[in-house]
Amino acid sequence: MKTRSRLHFSMRLLIGGSIVALALGLIVHGSQRQRRRPAQKTQGTTNSAHIDYSRFSHATRKHQGACNTCHKIPTDNWKKVRDFPDVADYPGHDACVSCHRPQFFKGAKPIICSVCHSKVSPRDDARFAFRKPATPRQFLIEFPHNKHQDVIARMFRPFSTEERPRFLGASFTYSSAIADDKTKHYNNCEICHISRTTAPVAPATGWPDAFVPDAATFKAAPTNHAACFNCHWKSQAPTNENCAGCHKLADKAFFAVDTPNRLSLKFRHAREQHVAECTSCHISITKAATLRGLQPDVPITSCTECHNKDGLRLDVSRELEAIDKNRDFVCSYCHTSDIGHLDPPASHYLIAGREPMKRKDVK
Amino acid sequence: MIRTLCSILVACLLAFVCLAQTPPAPQGARAVLRLRVRVKVGDSTKGLSRKRFFLTKGSLEQNKSMVETIERRPVISRDCYYRSAGASEALVKWLKENDCESVYCREIQPDDIEGTGAVPEFLAAMLAGEQEFGSRELARKWLTVNLPEKLRSGFYKARQSDLQSSIKQAEETSAAKVLSVMTDRNGTAYFTNLEPGTYTLSNILATEIGETVAIWNCEVQVKQDDRAFEKPFLVSNRKDKNVKCVAIEKPLPVCESAPK
Repeated sequence: MKTRSRLHFSMRLLIGGSIVALALGLIVHGSQRQRRRPAQKTQGTTNSAHIDYSRFSHATRKHQGACNTCHKIPTDNWKKVRDFPDVADYPGHDACVSCHRPQFFKGAKPIICSVCHSKVSPRDDARFAFRKPATPRQFLIEFPHNKHQDVIARMFRPFSTEERPRFLGASFTYSSAIADDKTKHYNNCEICHISRTTAPVAPATGWPDAFVPDAATFKAAPTNHAACFNCHWKSQAPTNENCAGCHKLADKAFFAVDTPNRLSLKFRHAREQHVAECTSCHISITKAATLRGLQPDVPITSCTECHNKDGLRLDVSRELEAIDKNRDFVCSYCHTSDIGHLDPPASHYLIAGREPMKRKDVK
Repeated sequence: MIRTLCSILVACLLAFVCLAQTPPAPQGARAVLRLRVRVKVGDSTKGLSRKRFFLTKGSLEQNKSMVETIERRPVISRDCYYRSAGASEALVKWLKENDCESVYCREIQPDDIEGTGAVPEFLAAMLAGEQEFGSRELARKWLTVNLPEKLRSGFYKARQSDLQSSIKQAEETSAAKVLSVMTDRNGTAYFTNLEPGTYTLSNILATEIGETVAIWNCEVQVKQDDRAFEKPFLVSNRKDKNVKCVAIEKPLPVCESAPK
């Protein structure tokens, strides 16, 4: 009797355990299927009808092979369109056809052709300019300012007889070091950042106070490979085959902003008195190992060496005094009103030899 | 008696009011250290431009092993390096005349390739480039891509290897990231966003100054309210009442192998 009941108990345990295991298995299997589903949608070819073949994205996993699988470096057309060897054209048909044969031969005007071709016709091979100007960018640039600053280092040169200090006519410009640089053309930030020659595009919200800065307000940044390949074409890593050495796939495609975000929009780089070396004002740039996360790095001291000197000019102090008289005064010597109406930062008060304060505390 | 007590009470009250007016330093406030590096050669003084300085958390005592390594490290002078790398005398002269540590310091001009002061390495690199690109001008502008590596970046790499080992040592000792900045044309540089405390300032790699090399290792106290516009921390190779960090100077080493 006892043996029978023990057997019943074991059977119940076995059946119960099996049911629980089966239920758990079903749950796990179900969740795995759910997890797999979206991946099947994006990777499979069965759903190709939903894919927009007029757009090419490097974010697609199959488009993330070695760059030279598709891109030829330099492209055959470089001598026609550039004065230096460059990637100046789209990859050839082979790069696409190997996977996209069905899309290539779909209809009279296959949509996939419009990725590169401005006219979809077998009799016309006209292509958009490379890279397609109106499309969002897919890559961020990696550029370590610190390394590049180190490489162009100079030795200290003791004074030669003709360079010894001597009396000179008074001027706003810095010492004879400028003359050295001009006559010898030392490499510095200007290898890449020359004065802009094209007017910046207005922000989407328009220029604040309708103040339109001219081109020379800003410095330019490199827009093609010429500034890089002159040293990195070969031998000096990252070289032309290593695109990923400089180009990092962004999490999301983006449109490059043409206009730098400036707090002092009225500062003009090209003004004749603004001749200090770049790093004299941009004090943090020599330690920047990446372009990402760069912050405004010009301290007020860079300006007040000239703009808040007793007996010379007192531009900062004067505007702070104007706030003392009228808390709604808008600082306008350097700033447009979007910045000029804010509380001046503590640094501005301290440079004027005053305790920092807020506009609300003005009596 | 009462009068005395009253005046003490008033004085205490005034002191309390005054202290209450002093704004408390914001929590986590960061400071700025402005360096001014001036170098004296003979009777002339000049700002030391384009030289990197490093800031390591901790006192000189705490960073003793790093400082000792820096001071004991044999100095490779520019001329000795390039000569040992097989550079021609013309290239050594070009670097010296242009105050350059590497060929990237300034654009190589047509006169540097052909003419009385021509550098044979430049000519060879330009001819190779001309063959490759089909343009003499492009070959000159991109000349460095055809120079041998040891002449192109060997000196930089040799120094970087010493630098990185010292930085690694410093970061292990201090358990904090070593910060660095480069001086501008006037010898000024700023360390920003600093946590107040004691630091060791160093150039880690000896700096050539005329016929000598200078090594700086100094202790710096960074206070919470230090800002960029206060008096700079003066660094020099000569003692002076305002100089807060004086270099150890040594004569430039003599090159081991004489040029052929």
